[in-house]
Amino acid sequence: MKNEWMPSAPVTVNWAITNRCNFRCRHCYSRTDTNEELSFGELCSILAKLGSAKVFSVNFGGGEPLMRGEIFDLAAKASGLGLAVSMNSNGFLIDRATARRLKEAGFQKVGVSLDSAVPEVHDEFRGVKGCHGRAAEALRYLKEAGIETSISSVICRINVEDIEGLIGQALSLGAGSLNFHNFKCSGLGFVNKDSLDLSPREWREFYVFAVEQREKIKDLHISLEDPIIASLGQGNSDSLVRGSVCGKLSLNIKANGDVTPCGFIPIVIGNLCKDDLMELWSNSPVLEAMRNKTPRGKCLNCGHYSDCLGGCTARALALTGDINNPDPHCWME
Amino acid sequence: MPRYYRKPDAMWREEEASKNLVMKGFEMGEDVAEIGTSIVLSSGKMHALNVLGTEVWKLCDGKTGEEMVSILSDGFDVEREVLERDVKAFLKDLKELGLIYEE
Ligand code: SF4
Repeated sequence: MKNEWMPSAPVTVNWAITNRCNFRCRHCYSRTDTNEELSFGELCSILAKLGSAKVFSVNFGGGEPLMRGEIFDLAAKASGLGLAVSMNSNGFLIDRATARRLKEAGFQKVGVSLDSAVPEVHDEFRGVKGCHGRAAEALRYLKEAGIETSISSVICRINVEDIEGLIGQALSLGAGSLNFHNFKCSGLGFVNKDSLDLSPREWREFYVFAVEQREKIKDLHISLEDPIIASLGQGNSDSLVRGSVCGKLSLNIKANGDVTPCGFIPIVIGNLCKDDLMELWSNSPVLEAMRNKTPRGKCLNCGHYSDCLGGCTARALALTGDINNPDPHCWME
Repeated sequence: MPRYYRKPDAMWREEEASKNLVMKGFEMGEDVAEIGTSIVLSSGKMHALNVLGTEVWKLCDGKTGEEMVSILSDGFDVEREVLERDVKAFLKDLKELGLIYEE
């Protein structure tokens, strides 16, 4: 199905500037990825490409983006070009001084991962003792420095029974938003999927509850960016496109400059050290295929297809080998 | 007479490819009202504005509705009354969406 309108350049770019990490998370998608890194000069020339394409925002990730000391200079350059700058971090390296430096570098938003309200559970999942406490402190320091904060939680077997705990934790830490990420089955997520992923029925139960909470709780923005919730009557009215946003509003850059539609889809469509961003955006056959999916299997007769477009493309690809197959998390019969 | 301003936190850009499409559509006499020629991002929400909406948006730098109509009447081949009505409707929409404010 064709998306009726497509922006002329990405609106957001997610950029893993390094794959180095101080954590050992059980679901990580980038542990199996390249260790190659670009020089600061190369990072700046990619940034210039984003600026001239009028990309709105850049979200640094990794690995752990703070493992790369130049993050501050890079962010300052990005905000100098008019980009809104944000980052996803595990929070471990953010003390009061770092939070201030991030603010000075132009960070508007920083997301910190917290997968459980129970410290031992989070520590075990992320592989580092004491990391829950450090993440919670990081959130306080960031807020104090005047940076908008969000908490990212990957929903899986370890936390699905305590969604209320995650919400309570986000409220008590004063986070602006709580992002519930669906489990992606890429990288280590694929290796550990049997012990971590939920069944379609459990995903449905989780989303029904999360949607209810989102409507009820006014002091916290709960974000559920999963196209399959269209089948619960929850179209994403904040978005300009239907289905998943990857390759339609956003792109992903890897540590070596390779471009993929999203961090969870390992198909490289080019490299920004040599390729033109607009050229990739407009002419990549991979992006074209993602923007014009063909319904397969149960999607063929599903009344939600026009909003859902088969759900998360990354998950369909990882588990079935075909982007057009129904999202394996989908609970529709 | 209120003056209109874009919200300072709003990020926006014109969509060159869509603009070219609209220009071609104009020449062919097609209806181009549904084509977004700019994107505005404000308070986490994204909006696509069509060609007239984009021009109105660009003029929200302290101009009154009347001033906007005078400027736009040079570029759009429509009766002034129709333009007045459309500009007014756009300003109302933009205000309801929280993208502009008036003083
Ligand atoms: S059947 Fe397909 S279109 Fe329908 S909700 Fe499931 S994934 Fe989405």
